[in-house]
Amino acid sequence: MSGPRRRALGLGAGLLVLLILVVTSIAVGSTAIPLSVVWDALTHPSATIDEYAIRDYRVPRTIVGLVVGVALGLSGALIQALTRNPLADPGILGVHAGASFAVTAAVGFFGVRDVQGFLWFGFAGALVVTLMVLALGSTRQGSSPVVMVLAGVCVGAVLGGAREALQLTDPDAFDVIRAWNAGSIAGRSLDVVGPILPFVVIAVVLAFVAARPLNAMALGDDLAVAQGARLTRTRILAILAITLLAGGATAIAGPIGFVGLMVPHVARWIVGPDQRWIFAYSILLAPVLLLASDILGRLVLHPGEVPVGIVTAFLGAPVLIALVRRAKVSGL
Amino acid sequence: MTLPSRTRRGAALAVALLGASLALTACSAGDTGTATGETRTVQADNGSVEIPAAPQRVATIGNTTLPFIDLGGSPVGVTAEADSDIERLSADQQETYRSATLLAASADEVDMEQLAALEPDLILVQIPDAEFESIEDELEAIAPTVFFGLDTEWKALADAVADAGNTTDALSAQKAEFEGLVTGIQEEYADLIANTTFVDVIRWSSSDPGTFAIADIGCSEIGRDEVGLNLPEAEEGADPLAWTALSFEQLGELSGYDVITYPVDAAGEPTEPFAPVVETNTWQSLPAVTSGHALGVFCPGNNSYGAVIQYLESLQDALASLPAAG
Repeated sequence: MSGPRRRALGLGAGLLVLLILVVTSIAVGSTAIPLSVVWDALTHPSATIDEYAIRDYRVPRTIVGLVVGVALGLSGALIQALTRNPLADPGILGVHAGASFAVTAAVGFFGVRDVQGFLWFGFAGALVVTLMVLALGSTRQGSSPVVMVLAGVCVGAVLGGAREALQLTDPDAFDVIRAWNAGSIAGRSLDVVGPILPFVVIAVVLAFVAARPLNAMALGDDLAVAQGARLTRTRILAILAITLLAGGATAIAGPIGFVGLMVPHVARWIVGPDQRWIFAYSILLAPVLLLASDILGRLVLHPGEVPVGIVTAFLGAPVLIALVRRAKVSGL
Repeated sequence: MTLPSRTRRGAALAVALLGASLALTACSAGDTGTATGETRTVQADNGSVEIPAAPQRVATIGNTTLPFIDLGGSPVGVTAEADSDIERLSADQQETYRSATLLAASADEVDMEQLAALEPDLILVQIPDAEFESIEDELEAIAPTVFFGLDTEWKALADAVADAGNTTDALSAQKAEFEGLVTGIQEEYADLIANTTFVDVIRWSSSDPGTFAIADIGCSEIGRDEVGLNLPEAEEGADPLAWTALSFEQLGELSGYDVITYPVDAAGEPTEPFAPVVETNTWQSLPAVTSGHALGVFCPGNNSYGAVIQYLESLQDALASLPAAG
C-alpha cells in the first residue's frame, strides 16, 4: 500500500476514533443518563432535566473540546516545526504566560469574573506576547528560531512572576484564577467558542499555507532558501497561526499543557516528517487526546471531576520522559 | 546654728533629687497599671495567659477579627478579611474594620514592627497551629497573646473572644437572642422540620465554571445542628460534601429533596457566585424551584453569634414563605 494511501487510511481510522469519543463525551458524564434520553435530547428535544444536561452541558463541552484540541495540537506542531525543537509547545513562546497574565489583570484591575470576560483579555495577552517575541527574536539577518525561543522563555518568566505578584496582592483575583489556571473545558458554553472559531479556521488555513515551506526549512535555512522558501514570510505566517490557535485555546480553557507537545510527536511517528501530514494528524489526534482526558476526568473522581489540564499533565509527564530518553527523538 | 552656704546648697540639691525620684516612680507606676495587679488569667490553646483585666487596644489576627467586631470590639490592628465577608457586615462594623490598621493579608505576613507600633495590650489569634508556632514568640514579646486553634467550635470561640476581649455583656445579649430564635423556629416549624428533606447548595467565587457544591459546612451546620433541619452531611471521617465540586449537570440530583436553600445577599438576590446556577435551565426545572420550595437564605457567617442570628432570621423568613402544604 502506498504511503499517501496508508496515511489517508490512518486519517480515516483517527476520524472514526474521534467520532466514537464525541459520542462517548455526550453519552457519559457525572450523571447517569440513559442512552435513550441522550438520543431524544439530540433528536426530539424536550424540557426535562436530563435533556438539559445533555444539550446545555455535554454537547457544548464536547464542541469546546474539539475546538481547543484542534487549536492546541496544530499550534504545537507549528511551534515544533518553526523552532525545529521537538520539545517545544505553545508555552515556550510565552503564549500561555501572556494569556494568563492578561486574564489575571482582567480579574484584578477590571473585576472580570466569568469565562466570557476572560476570552478577549486572554486572546489579547497571547497576541501581545507573540508580537513581542517576534520582535525580540528578529535579528539583522531576519528572525531566528533560537532567539525567539529564548525571548519567549524570558517573557514568559517575567509575566509569570508578574502574575504571581498580582495574585498575592489580590486574594480575590487569586481565587478566581486558581480554577482557570488548572485548564478545563467544563462549564464553557458555545458563547465562548463562537467568537474564537473564525480565528481558529483562519489559523488552520495559514498553517497549511506554511506547511510546505516549513518542510524545506527543516533542512536548514540555506537549503530552504535554495528550494525557494521565503523564510521571513513563512515564520510570520506560522507565528500568526500559533498566536491565533494557542491564544484562542488558552483564552477558552486556560493553560492546558502537553497536548501541543505530545500529539505532534505521535503524528510524526505515524506519518514521518512531512508537515502537511503532521498538521492533518495533529488536528485529528489532539481532540482525541483532549476528549479522552476529559471523559476520564469526569469518571475517575466521581462525583467530583478532575480538570482536563490536570489529566493531560498526568498523561503527558511520562510521555515527555519517554521522549527525552529515546536514543533519537523523532526528527523534524 | 546656721549651716554653711555650700552645705545648704548641697542639701537643697539632695532634696530636689529625692523629690524628682519619687515623682518619677509614681509616674511610672501609673503607666504600668497592669503591673499593679489589674490583670487576669484566661485559658487558651497556648496555655494560661495573663491579660489585662480590661484591654483597651486589642489586635486581632486571623479568624478572631470578625467575631471580635461582632461582639462590639474595635481592634486597633487586624489581618485582612475577604471583601465578600466585609460586605456582609453592617455599615458600623465595616467602619470599625476599616478604622483598624491593616497588618497583613495573612497571619504569616504580619509586620511585627507595625504591630508593635500600635502598642496593643492584647493580641487575639486564630490561625493554623503551624503558623502560630512560627510567630508565637514575636507576638508574645509585643503583648499578651491568646491563641485559638482552628478546630475551636464557634460558640466556644465566641465565649473565649468575649472573655478575653472584655465584651461578655454583648455576648450574653447575643446568646439570649440566638436561643430565642432557635427555639422559635423549632416550635413554629416542628412538623416541617420533622417531615421535610432539605439540601443547602453553594457556589464560591473560586468555583470552577459550571460547578456547584452541596453545603454541609458554614451556615448549613447551624441549620442542621442547632435548628434540626434534615440536611445532608458527610460520613464520619470523610471530607465535607462542600469540598466536592459538582458539575451543573448534577443539579438534577437535587430533585430528591423537598426544599432547597441557596445563598442570597442582604437584598435577597442570589449571590454573585451563585447567580450562574439559578440561570440554568436545569435549576429552573427542578421540582423544588417550580413549586416555590427553593429558599434564598442570607448567611453572613457562622463564626459569631451576630452573624448566626442574621442567618436564623433569614431562615425564619424563608420558611415563612413556603407554600402551605396542600
